[in-house]
Amino acid sequence: MELLQYSLRKIATGIPLVIGVTLISFLLMVYFGPDKTYELVGKNPTAEQIAEVRAELGYDQPVAVRYLDYLRELVTLDLGFSDSTGERVSAILARTIPISAAVALPGFILGNLFGVLLGLFAAFYRGVWPDKFIMAAAAIGMSISFLIVIIAFQILLSSSYGLNLFPVRGWDVHSIGDYVLYVTVPTLATVFVALGYNTRFYRSVIVEETTRDYVRTARAFGMPAGPLYYKLILKNCMIPIITRIMFSIPFVVISGSLLIESYFGIPGVGKVTYDAIVTGDQPILKAVVALTAVLLVAVQLLTDIMYRWVDPRVALK
Amino acid sequence: MSTVAEELPAAGADDAGSASLWSKGLYKFRRDRTGMWSLAVVLAYVVIAAGVWLGFWATGWADLAGGKWEPVSAQHWFGTNIIGQDIFDRAIYSTKTSFEVGLVVAVLATVIGAVLGAVAGFFSGSWLDEVILWLMGVLDSIPFLLFVAAIAYTLQGNPYSMHIAMIVTFWITAGRLVRGEVIKLKEMEYVEAGHALGLPEFTIIFRHILPNTSHILLVQATITFVAAIKSEVILSFLGLGVKDGMSWGLMISESSQEVLAGFFNNFLAASALLFGLVMAFNLFSDALQDALDPRTVSES
Repeated sequence: MELLQYSLRKIATGIPLVIGVTLISFLLMVYFGPDKTYELVGKNPTAEQIAEVRAELGYDQPVAVRYLDYLRELVTLDLGFSDSTGERVSAILARTIPISAAVALPGFILGNLFGVLLGLFAAFYRGVWPDKFIMAAAAIGMSISFLIVIIAFQILLSSSYGLNLFPVRGWDVHSIGDYVLYVTVPTLATVFVALGYNTRFYRSVIVEETTRDYVRTARAFGMPAGPLYYKLILKNCMIPIITRIMFSIPFVVISGSLLIESYFGIPGVGKVTYDAIVTGDQPILKAVVALTAVLLVAVQLLTDIMYRWVDPRVALK
Repeated sequence: MSTVAEELPAAGADDAGSASLWSKGLYKFRRDRTGMWSLAVVLAYVVIAAGVWLGFWATGWADLAGGKWEPVSAQHWFGTNIIGQDIFDRAIYSTKTSFEVGLVVAVLATVIGAVLGAVAGFFSGSWLDEVILWLMGVLDSIPFLLFVAAIAYTLQGNPYSMHIAMIVTFWITAGRLVRGEVIKLKEMEYVEAGHALGLPEFTIIFRHILPNTSHILLVQATITFVAAIKSEVILSFLGLGVKDGMSWGLMISESSQEVLAGFFNNFLAASALLFGLVMAFNLFSDALQDALDPRTVSES
């Protein structure tokens, strides 16, 4: 009951955020965006036809009404139809989000997992060569553009100039084998790029934790390094780790894979969004922006609940 | 840097007699070999970019100087691209584009972040602070690429839509850092003295508090510079970035077809120059951060 109350209050505080994001996306893309009338009317339109299309698009309504209309569409999940394919936007999202998740998830999990492990390793050897080597590698990794990594991995792994082990691009998945085949190169590229940033972040969090008094006490009592790091230090680092992981989820799911998907031609949300950007497909863009904001609020709520779970001292306030 | 140190009115007032954060930082930075080397590389890039800007070299970046995909030669140092343009000239010219984007975005984003962050921090808890925090939260929640797309879409082919989108997104980090620092600084005695002397709040914020966050702003500006350069490449590749002119992102975009045909010069030239600049700037930024960190400065 207490949790429910807390959740409701959290959702309420998330409302200004959702309103802000939807308002900005509405103003940018709908209100100040290009006039779509003449794309939709046929050749040599009469004045009535133009007025009809404008009424259909809501251009004859005041701003506030149009914005509230947009909010109503979002709340009822009646997101309209894509301008380019005429397909229902909610149907497009339902079809593409699972694909995006399937593409992004392995890289996301591995990138964070290896990041934490390398961070632990580097923090353990702080100041000596393994640490210096890992941090130098991280600095190099951070300096290579995502784009270059993608193209380089494609050349090395899936072209005839490299190992030619995987399909160059596309997404033709009918079995687990296909999935592994198509997901490997994008995953490797994602992990490569994420690892530099993640390792640096996690190492600094862990190093900070090793300076605490309880670590010195545990060492003084002769606690071996393994249990010390995994049982005590890692556990106490969970809050920043969870925060980082959770808050990147909305971006990974909705738009983080935009570059990967458009480059590899994978029909996920990222690709759909990219196509919508290129063709100016308003209904899709509006839906994706608003969805990210809603997801972010949900993630904030979930993160706060997880804090309590990993650290009972964080009472639900 | 020495001029900045002179302009700081209150820096080091609490440890009278000892050197300021800036002169200590400069001393520390000079002894940081990685930092000095990275600065040298960055300066080399600056010279290249300035030369392009002044028209000394790479003027023929758009000329059809040779045949399709010519190999490396004395005339075309990195060969030619698919329509016979000199890749070396194009890569060098792109350095200027990168600096343009990086400098414009870094300077403006840092200034906006400093002003809004300082105001929010000084009036923390008030409605003004709430509004600025809300704005930060909202802008943070819009996926970057979508936001750029939305702004490009709204501005209808304005060549600066990419810059605007980056500035609007990147000021937030600087703003949050400055806000936190100002909340700390505004409790200090010199601010109280300013109040007692009857200085207007505007003067206290911008003349006395904000200069004391300049070490944070400088480091943040270098981080923003790198972020802007990296984003430019991806945005130009996606067709949302540089419209006229040449950039490493456009070169990589051209090359994504070429690499599948086995021609790598364009890709390698753009990637190598981009990597060199970003790497050097990252190391420079790290060294600067170490040198200007008050906690480590006081130890040395």
